[in-house]
Amino acid sequence: MYNEMFRDSALRAEYAVIDAWLKKHGPVALLERQAEAEELFRRIGITFAVYTEGTDPDRLIPFDMVPRVFNESEWSIVERGSIQRANALNCFIADVYGARNIVKEGIMPEEMILKNPAYLKQMNGYRPPNDIWSHIIGVDIVRTGEGQFYVLEDNCRTPSGVSYVLQNREVMHRMFPDLFEGGHVRPVDGYGELLATAMQDVAPANCSGRPTLALLTPGQYNSAYYEHYFLADLMGIELVEGSDMFVEDDIVYMRTTNGPERVDVLYRRLDDDFMDPEVFFEGSTLGVPGIIRAMKAGNITLVNAPGTGIADDKSIYTYVPDMIRFYLNEEPIIENVPTYCCERPDELKYVLDHLAELVVKEVHGSGGYGMLVGPTSTPEQVEEFRAKLVANPTNYIAQPTLALSTSPVLTPDGMSPRHVDLRPFVISGKKTALIPSGLTRVALQEGSLVVNSSQGGGVKDTWVLSSDRTSHA
Amino acid sequence: MSRYVERMDNMARLLDAGRRMDALPRQSGATLSEWTSIVIASGCSGSFPGGPEAATSSTVREHLVRDETNPSSIVSCILAARQNAKAVRPSLTSEVWEAINQTQSQLKKHLSEEFDRTNLTAFLDWVQGRAALIVGSILGTMMRDQRLGFVQIGKWFERADATARLLDVKYHVLLPKVADVGGGLDYLQWLQILRAANSATAFRHEYGRSPDAEGVVDMLVLNAHSPRSLRTALDQLCVELTELAQADAAPQQELIKKFRNKNQLLIDQDLDEIFQFGLHEWLTNFILDTNSLAAMTADAFGFGAVTTPDQ
Repeated sequence: MYNEMFRDSALRAEYAVIDAWLKKHGPVALLERQAEAEELFRRIGITFAVYTEGTDPDRLIPFDMVPRVFNESEWSIVERGSIQRANALNCFIADVYGARNIVKEGIMPEEMILKNPAYLKQMNGYRPPNDIWSHIIGVDIVRTGEGQFYVLEDNCRTPSGVSYVLQNREVMHRMFPDLFEGGHVRPVDGYGELLATAMQDVAPANCSGRPTLALLTPGQYNSAYYEHYFLADLMGIELVEGSDMFVEDDIVYMRTTNGPERVDVLYRRLDDDFMDPEVFFEGSTLGVPGIIRAMKAGNITLVNAPGTGIADDKSIYTYVPDMIRFYLNEEPIIENVPTYCCERPDELKYVLDHLAELVVKEVHGSGGYGMLVGPTSTPEQVEEFRAKLVANPTNYIAQPTLALSTSPVLTPDGMSPRHVDLRPFVISGKKTALIPSGLTRVALQEGSLVVNSSQGGGVKDTWVLSSDRTSHA
Repeated sequence: MSRYVERMDNMARLLDAGRRMDALPRQSGATLSEWTSIVIASGCSGSFPGGPEAATSSTVREHLVRDETNPSSIVSCILAARQNAKAVRPSLTSEVWEAINQTQSQLKKHLSEEFDRTNLTAFLDWVQGRAALIVGSILGTMMRDQRLGFVQIGKWFERADATARLLDVKYHVLLPKVADVGGGLDYLQWLQILRAANSATAFRHEYGRSPDAEGVVDMLVLNAHSPRSLRTALDQLCVELTELAQADAAPQQELIKKFRNKNQLLIDQDLDEIFQFGLHEWLTNFILDTNSLAAMTADAFGFGAVTTPDQ
């Protein structure tokens, strides 16, 4: 198993600063300061609501204080690989709702699209500015060894978690400024600028002057509400709810104290189904009636556009390497995890024969629910899943259990390795870019491979080291 | 008194900005450290042991936080604010007095708690919290009369001075090379200046773009909505002094005229002209001018001279 802090059992030079820091304070003294970190997160208000009865609705995501480090060449793989993937996925979505060349060329059967619940036929023929559909894509990446990365899944709808990337850094920096002295860790301050600039870049063609941006939230009871107001504030734009907005003559306005103000670009953190009761879920009171008409008329850009879920489904995932070859004429920089589609009979047979070694996931599931991790499950659990698979094979995919890399975390017994993944956030406007960091999620239970925050995973500050200290953005 | 309260708040912000700047990538060929810029912005160049070029994070902390021989250190500000408050105790409400008095009595405990720590952040939080409590008590409990007027005047003079010095930092240390303007580092440095002035978030709301030289100078010099701009400070000084001045006191009426002129100059000031004139030169003139106006104000109204930072 690959421990990111060591290379051939010797401490990696990239971790020298952290190692010195750990030795200076000692794990016990550092753990004592955990309470201080939590107090800071509470003060900032960065909580994550999980709807389980009887628990604190304003729960903190556990924060592990040992940073995770990428050197420049590792980051270059992550950065180029994520950008490549985001570009291919945007080409794919545009193709799905446009010419469908990928089907015509025989690369993907059309039913993969048509049968997919995330496919929105209402979007056919729509062309967003710059042909960018998914402006913010979270690419979940795991690591198995030196320079070896795999993409676990893509998040093209409304990926969340970027506020933790920025606030984890803020808290670490407040508590341990010495760790950052000298500027060897690349700053993450640029995220708000990057996103706001991308949003301005995709303003409707008929927008004159500086585009008015806004962020649409389902409201304060949403689990990610903190992130919504954090990002709105970071960009200096209005945070609105559906009831703050209306559509007149296919133009979207928000109500302000100075009267209605036209909105040109809306970062919506509301699922497709709830966006517009005229088009999608009729009972939605969270959305804005008529907003899809306005979008199609070219009077507002939605970030991300509706229908982008077609690209991040687990069965579509298996086609992404082909998309990269087809649309970009490039080889994937980061590979997919080998994936078996249980709807294909030969692959289903393999999966059923090797169930105890595999991870099986629901095609449309998310949040780490409804999955089987073969090696850590009891025989009863495996058999239970076998029945589900046989009954409804199209609903599942399976992957080998990778030897995920680990990163050390603080525990009462000292340092201990835990599995980690990484979600960088790729932003597309005129150009495609990301900040030098991402969300590192860590499985806090020993041996666990599940890092989802809804399943008890934690987070870490994620460093990208700069070798040339003068060049960065 | 209120000048010292404002100054302790500004010092805390500056030190926090220093921490953030310390984590920025170094410029190649930069000879002066970010801490030097903090010393210059604090107005403590003259008293800094070995001169500001010798500044390191620990010597800056020592001089700007604890050093009682530095009249502008946080400890000196707290002691002086309390001493001044005691001298005019009958003019203050008990809430204001207690807020100030308690700040001093808690000071030792907070200082010693910070002693073993590797950073000052919690202490600086406490300082800013106390300053907010004192200012809030002043605004919430004092009668809106002359006494409040004088308290406010001190605050606005101090703020004008601090904001002008903060902007000047960029000239001194941060970016000696014009070629770097517009690069990533330039942006990050302007961002840290805005943060030191508590204006980073407000900037995006107000200007809707990335911080750049023109924007930040406009925000902190000319913007009438910014609570920390030179324009706001002068607007408020004019309002307060007009209220305070006696119709038959000639020196006071003279002074008001001077303030109105200066205020009008700032209202009519063209942003480009500041840069053509040279930001550093413009700010230097502004600081000298404001300090001489502060001295004239003390003279005209017959209160004691205030310790100003270096000129």
